[in-house]
Amino acid sequence: MAEPRSCEPRFSPPPHQPNVPAPGAAATGAAPAAATPGAPATPALPQAGPDEVALLIDDRPVVVRRGATVLQAAEKAGILVPHYCYHPGMSIAGNCRMCLVEIEKMPKLQIGCATAATPGMVVRTNNDRVKGVRAGIQEFLLINHPLDCPICDQAGECRLQAYEKDYGRGESRFVEEKVRFPKRYDIGRSVLFDAERCIKCTRCVRFCDEVSRSHELALFSRGDHAIIGTFPGRPLDNPYSGCTVDVCPVGALTWKPFRFKARVWFLKNVPSVCAGCARGCNVNLAVFRNRIHRMAPRPNLDVNAYWMCDAGRQSYDSLYSRPRFERPVVRAVPAAPRAGESAAAARPLRESPDPRAEPASLRDRALDLAAGLLREAARKGGPRALAAIVSARLSVEDLYLAKRVLGDLAGVARLAVPPHEEGEDDHLLIRRDRTPNARGAELLGFGAPSAARVREILDDVAAGRVRGLVVLGEDLLAIPGVAPAMVERLEALIVIDWWRSPTVDIAHVALPACGYGEFEGTVVNCQGRVQRLRPALRPPGEADPAWRILRDLGRRFDLTNEYAAPRAVFDEVAAKVPAFAGLNFSALGDLGAPVPGAPAGGAAGAPAVEA
Amino acid sequence: MAFEPLLTRNVGRPGSEAIDAYLASGGYQGLKRVLREFTPEKFVEEVKSSGLRGRGGAGFSTGMKWGFLPKGREKPRYLCVNADESEPGTFKDRLLIEKDPHLVLEGIIASAYAIECNLAFFYIRGEFHQGHRIFQKAVAEAHARGYLGRNILGSGFGLDIIMYRGAGAYICGEETALLESLEGKRGYPRIKPPFPALVGLYGCPTIINNVETLANVTLIAERGAAWYAAIGRPPKNTGPKLFCLSGHVKRPGVYEAPLGVPFLELLNEQAGGMAHPSRPLKAAVPGGSSMKILPASKCDVLLDFDSLAAAGTSLGSAGGIVMDTGTCIVGALLNLARFYAHESCGQCTPCREGTGWLVQILVRLERGDGRMEDVGLLADIAGRIEGNTVCPFGEAIAWPVDSYVKEFREEFEEHARRKACPLRAAAGR
Ligand SMILES: Cc1cc2nc3c(=O)[nH]c(=O)nc-3n(C[C@H](O)[C@H](O)[C@H](O)COP(=O)(O)O)c2cc1C
Ligand code: SF4
Ligand code: SF4
Ligand code: FES
Repeated sequence: MAEPRSCEPRFSPPPHQPNVPAPGAAATGAAPAAATPGAPATPALPQAGPDEVALLIDDRPVVVRRGATVLQAAEKAGILVPHYCYHPGMSIAGNCRMCLVEIEKMPKLQIGCATAATPGMVVRTNNDRVKGVRAGIQEFLLINHPLDCPICDQAGECRLQAYEKDYGRGESRFVEEKVRFPKRYDIGRSVLFDAERCIKCTRCVRFCDEVSRSHELALFSRGDHAIIGTFPGRPLDNPYSGCTVDVCPVGALTWKPFRFKARVWFLKNVPSVCAGCARGCNVNLAVFRNRIHRMAPRPNLDVNAYWMCDAGRQSYDSLYSRPRFERPVVRAVPAAPRAGESAAAARPLRESPDPRAEPASLRDRALDLAAGLLREAARKGGPRALAAIVSARLSVEDLYLAKRVLGDLAGVARLAVPPHEEGEDDHLLIRRDRTPNARGAELLGFGAPSAARVREILDDVAAGRVRGLVVLGEDLLAIPGVAPAMVERLEALIVIDWWRSPTVDIAHVALPACGYGEFEGTVVNCQGRVQRLRPALRPPGEADPAWRILRDLGRRFDLTNEYAAPRAVFDEVAAKVPAFAGLNFSALGDLGAPVPGAPAGGAAGAPAVEA
Repeated sequence: MAFEPLLTRNVGRPGSEAIDAYLASGGYQGLKRVLREFTPEKFVEEVKSSGLRGRGGAGFSTGMKWGFLPKGREKPRYLCVNADESEPGTFKDRLLIEKDPHLVLEGIIASAYAIECNLAFFYIRGEFHQGHRIFQKAVAEAHARGYLGRNILGSGFGLDIIMYRGAGAYICGEETALLESLEGKRGYPRIKPPFPALVGLYGCPTIINNVETLANVTLIAERGAAWYAAIGRPPKNTGPKLFCLSGHVKRPGVYEAPLGVPFLELLNEQAGGMAHPSRPLKAAVPGGSSMKILPASKCDVLLDFDSLAAAGTSLGSAGGIVMDTGTCIVGALLNLARFYAHESCGQCTPCREGTGWLVQILVRLERGDGRMEDVGLLADIAGRIEGNTVCPFGEAIAWPVDSYVKEFREEFEEHARRKACPLRAAAGR
């Protein structure tokens, strides 16, 4: 059954609107240019379909869809036409002039970004004439540039640098005074502007006009005094402002949280998915010395195009602002807390319950204890005495094993997923569901996140009907209306979480899980697309992926499967859960795949992703 | 045979801007004839066969341009009158607007009829306060007499005109920057294609014509294409033309003559020759500041589109600038470059960065800090701008630089060699 498409992203403007060719220039089906007699034979043009055009670029034949630009056709032929102002997700400005190429029968060079490919066109992107113009553009762009590359965040990722290396003359003939502009100009909440580095490509302006639709930026003044700016009282402050930094091809716009944090060539980019909301924007985690320094969107036209929101971009901050716990923690049990010892006086388990036993690991003993407590609670209270509160921030693998181990083997009768909603869905990416995997939880049989079901369990806890509670990835005490006193009667409070939440401190047994970026797994976004989270960091201490903790807990309940890796769990999900039928972990790749039944594809006719 | 003024026939008569004076001299008869005797398509053909070429600078066939409009009528068509006249040395449109607005208006109405447009925009240079006032009054008069508004002269054809004042940017005279400005945006030229005839104002098919072009349409409406096509240098350079002359000329001003009039005849016979008898002609830019310069030795040219192209320059907006031997060519170019650097819209790289660079080099040369290599550098920079920009403004600065250096290289080199402006040095300044 077709899923509602309400979550399908709609990107505007239509990413590509190459200009209509001059009247007559695009006569459909025009014969390819005949080779000049005596000239070396040009390669034959391939056959083009009805909605396609065939052309020659640097003697390479290429077939593209009708309406594609010369720049896109070249890209398809594996030829890079250098460009600054062109961005595949925005309208065409044609102002940088870096993409000028020679087209047979046209006296002037033409900009590849705005010229439609026409049948039989013969394009040269790399002859001396084109190269000379490129060198000229480079020289023009650099005459007033401050050349402060050593202290520029963009160094290493800067197009001015890259193109100067490839196309520049390597020296400047400019001996005049440079035009001076404001540097370190505070243009918005999280973005700093260096007007001297700006090449006036207007990508940032177009982003704010067309994508975020917040219209904060504009060009002011004329000639070589032209400068990007904001209007009085309206700084650059929209939920996507970080994307202006991404699209800026130079170091003019920098992201305050990343300024001077790392040299980009030391960063390792790990492809992953943002866990900030149900969209699951594709990202790269930029890691240096086991720390995430930057999170930036990774193009995926079916999900986030080229964008992500600012909140998501900094969502990894919590990894470094929240306290962690590196070893399992248990509260002295089963003895009641001694007088004067508060519930918060939990401490790592030190002594083995039985001094003569083989010295078991701390983790094993914590898991033994957890299993024992759950068994005991079930024995005393019957089938409805066990419940679990499970987070939609967990991966498919975590959730699947939670269901299997807790639900099927340990006899946990009720598993509820609390909702995390905030604000409203917006016009672009942001979903009010702030969890990355609510859809996955639903498909795995947890039902939709439900505050009512959580409340029901908590009422039963307060009434003493639930004696054993497992909390996975949620801070119980942060749920509105929950106080430590309410859960005091629990005989078993088992918590698995990545940070030392207040709930960890009152748990009978708490096991440290991996935080964001520290584990591998999959999540299902609001569109029903399964996407991979990749491990980028070494987890601290004994922190373990939740699925592995659950697996090992399961062993105490006669779980026999080995599940060597998330891949094994996922492939079992695909084999056993109909909603995931036919999926394959390896085949998910970097861009994910829709679950069967979820609407396929994204923005129709979407362009190739920029290299 | 003496040439009867056609475009300036009413100029100089007292009260020539009032509709009564215009009607008294036979005004609006041409419009009546067109509405009565021509279908819109036939009048487009008529203008085509008149040979009329645009007077705004590019000299493109007006009838042909109109013919580029798409056949379909899904969207309204607009006519934009380009009255932004801001090129240094060009002041011919202003004369028509202030002295004979109805001659222009009649042409606008006839042209709108031809291209089946019911709303025209009159984009007038912001500094033209008087012209704006006069033209607005003319529009009101025409409305009152039934030459504008609904059902003009009972023909069923209707037209309204919206007046729009520029805000002081030369670039807004470039037709697509004009459209952006009209739409309330920054005056940035658009990338072409698409051309305005297909995608123009508010995305609708649009024709942009110069004031003088439209005044010529009135003449064709009055007396027909065959008569018109015999004026000037047929078949390709037809009609009367307004020529501006400024600089070291005895009587600077606007002169009307048929296309193809010899430049020296215009200068010496009509404008009274050079301003100072002791300082003969050194150079001239017959077409206007954006065009290539001609040294005196090459000034024996006919003033029409094709003759000037053959001479290596262009008719442009016919804003002729005359320089005598007291002129420092480097200083003249610096003056010009300053204007272009100031007026570059700043959109595209070569023009934005190149114009400022050219100014700085010229300042150094003129100040006495020039280097020999600067002379070649000037030409090289111009060459890197030319042809590589969004709009023809790039050529408007590249052509002068290139030609001034080419024609007067020795003078540039002397600046560098002597580390001084030779003329200033001679004058003890
Ligand atoms: C920088 C620049 C400034 C221009 N300024 C004017 C102007 O002030 N008036 C004008 O009629 N045309 C101007 N033009 C030419 C217009 O772009 C356009 O060609 C003209 O208005 C077309 O009218 P026409 O076909 O009647 O000549 C300018 C062109 C450029 C590149
Ligand atoms: S700030 Fe960056 S993106 Fe914006 S115009 Fe300047 S160079 Fe382009
Ligand atoms: S050539 Fe100059 S005036 Fe024309 S678009 Fe480019 S910067 Fe603007
Ligand atoms: S990429 Fe084509 S002009 Fe900038």
